[in-house]
Amino acid sequence: MSNSTSNTPEKEHKSSYRAEERRTLSSGEEEFFFDVKTSDMEVNMGPQHPATHGVMRVLIRCDGELVTGSQVHLGYLHRCAEKIGENVEWLQYLPYTDRYDYLAAMNNNLGYSMAVEALMPGLEIPRRAVLLRTINVELNRIASHLVAYGTYGLDIGAITPFLYAFREREWIQALFEKICGARLTYSYIRIGGVFNDAPPGWLKEVGHFCDVFEEKWKEYRDLLALNHIFIKRTAHVGVIPKDMAIDFGLTGPMLRGSGVDFDLRRDMPYMAYGEAYEAGAFKVPVGSGEKGELGDSWDRFYVRVEEMMESIKLVRWCLGVIEDGPIIGEIPKVIKVPAGEAYVGIENPRGELGHYVHSDGGKVAVRCRVRGPSFTNIAVVEELMPGTLLADSVAIIGSTDIVIGETDR
Amino acid sequence: MELQAIHDTLKAAGVAGLLGCDEPRPANKKEKDPGRAGMPFLLVDPAEIVPLLTACRDEPRLQFDLLIDLTASDPAADGDDLWVLIQLLSLKYRHRLAIKAHLPKSALSIASATAVYRAANWHERECSEMFGITFEGHPDPRKILLPDDWKGFPLRKDYEFPTEYHGISCE
Repeated sequence: MSNSTSNTPEKEHKSSYRAEERRTLSSGEEEFFFDVKTSDMEVNMGPQHPATHGVMRVLIRCDGELVTGSQVHLGYLHRCAEKIGENVEWLQYLPYTDRYDYLAAMNNNLGYSMAVEALMPGLEIPRRAVLLRTINVELNRIASHLVAYGTYGLDIGAITPFLYAFREREWIQALFEKICGARLTYSYIRIGGVFNDAPPGWLKEVGHFCDVFEEKWKEYRDLLALNHIFIKRTAHVGVIPKDMAIDFGLTGPMLRGSGVDFDLRRDMPYMAYGEAYEAGAFKVPVGSGEKGELGDSWDRFYVRVEEMMESIKLVRWCLGVIEDGPIIGEIPKVIKVPAGEAYVGIENPRGELGHYVHSDGGKVAVRCRVRGPSFTNIAVVEELMPGTLLADSVAIIGSTDIVIGETDR
Repeated sequence: MELQAIHDTLKAAGVAGLLGCDEPRPANKKEKDPGRAGMPFLLVDPAEIVPLLTACRDEPRLQFDLLIDLTASDPAADGDDLWVLIQLLSLKYRHRLAIKAHLPKSALSIASATAVYRAANWHERECSEMFGITFEGHPDPRKILLPDDWKGFPLRKDYEFPTEYHGISCE
């Protein structure tokens, strides 16, 4: 029950829809008074709602247009990935990694492979495999950010950019199809390297894609990110201050959007990233509060847009240094991993994807923990919602760029 | 900073509950030691987890400002051991810390870390429903991924798969 809307402007002028009633005072006089029975309304956003990007339910309590509280309900897409990890062989688990963040399957393959490789100290990954991994992971980052770009526009009413974004994404998927045969769930990056060498002409086509995408990227930026209406919808909305971002354990563009200059690729380098950064191949975009205030939805969005361009530069650098050679280290058919435990975190498009693997020396993991960035990133939504308008709740959820396959795993 | 240096820094700051480091070691065939691969862990006393995490966060030479992950591991169905695993990350010094705390299956209770890192909130909810650990002082101890009426703790090694769910056969 809430008649506490006195702070909102609608309450001040009496509108015609209010019921006119009369009541008797204790003195016996009658008086007219205006009253309307109002109460907080609970709105279920989801589980089937286009703006939740999957099956997630957000229970929103609102007082008119004002959101007074929210609760996120997960688990609709829980597929027991961690339990499966304890029941299948090391290499058999790889296809399951494709399926948690299905927009960035290459990155998931890499995260899992690197965690298992951390338990195999003698294993050396050939240089060509390292560079092929880096190229594919960065292409997948672009493809993933293109979806984030397109669907965020779609969420708040701009349909056209989505169609543009999928044009280039289609090309990246075609490139992946040529190298590994799959368009969404690749299982391309294996423990020890990659499973297939680039077909003839593939690297040249990737170079051609980079040239074309560079031009298109400017269109994308002007079409949506610098669009006046889009800025009005996203600037000053869902502001995450720096200390709140850190307290909630946010990672990736969510953290950088709040002005924290941290990227695992640069700060704790793995694969070829350390070398690439020293060669000046990429820099780390950080939110600046350019259009609104630091840490608002626009900042987070624009970090992703800029990251696409940095990924293109990284791919170019890799294309420049890649040479012929073996593509996978010495790996037996049935992998036995030495006893031990390791946690490896890598920079996924959405933040830090961590794998904790525990082996007792056998063919199957004792524990295979997945730390998905979407899971931690969506937790901040409950904190951001109260006090915003109902229409902005879609803009806030969209700006977190979650994939439900990963929150629920 | 390496694990041993982090351990010594915490010790110098007077933090209680440090039980040593679990470093990886190579296999030794003579002594029939299979060795341990992977990464080092800091072993801690679960009773001291909250002051320890606070020290990790606030100690100026460590500054572990991000709680990356909090989970548990049940290595064997017949054993009585369960491990709580915490991953911390420092944005300033770019180093990581992995913490392991031992809990006996007969007394699965540990203090909640939500007062130190709010990121722990959902991780603890997940850990609680999957392993049956009680996080004392957790502000919102509901289930998160499983249905509210789910029986058992699925990630425990002694978990028995259900044969039916609400009258629907699962066999």
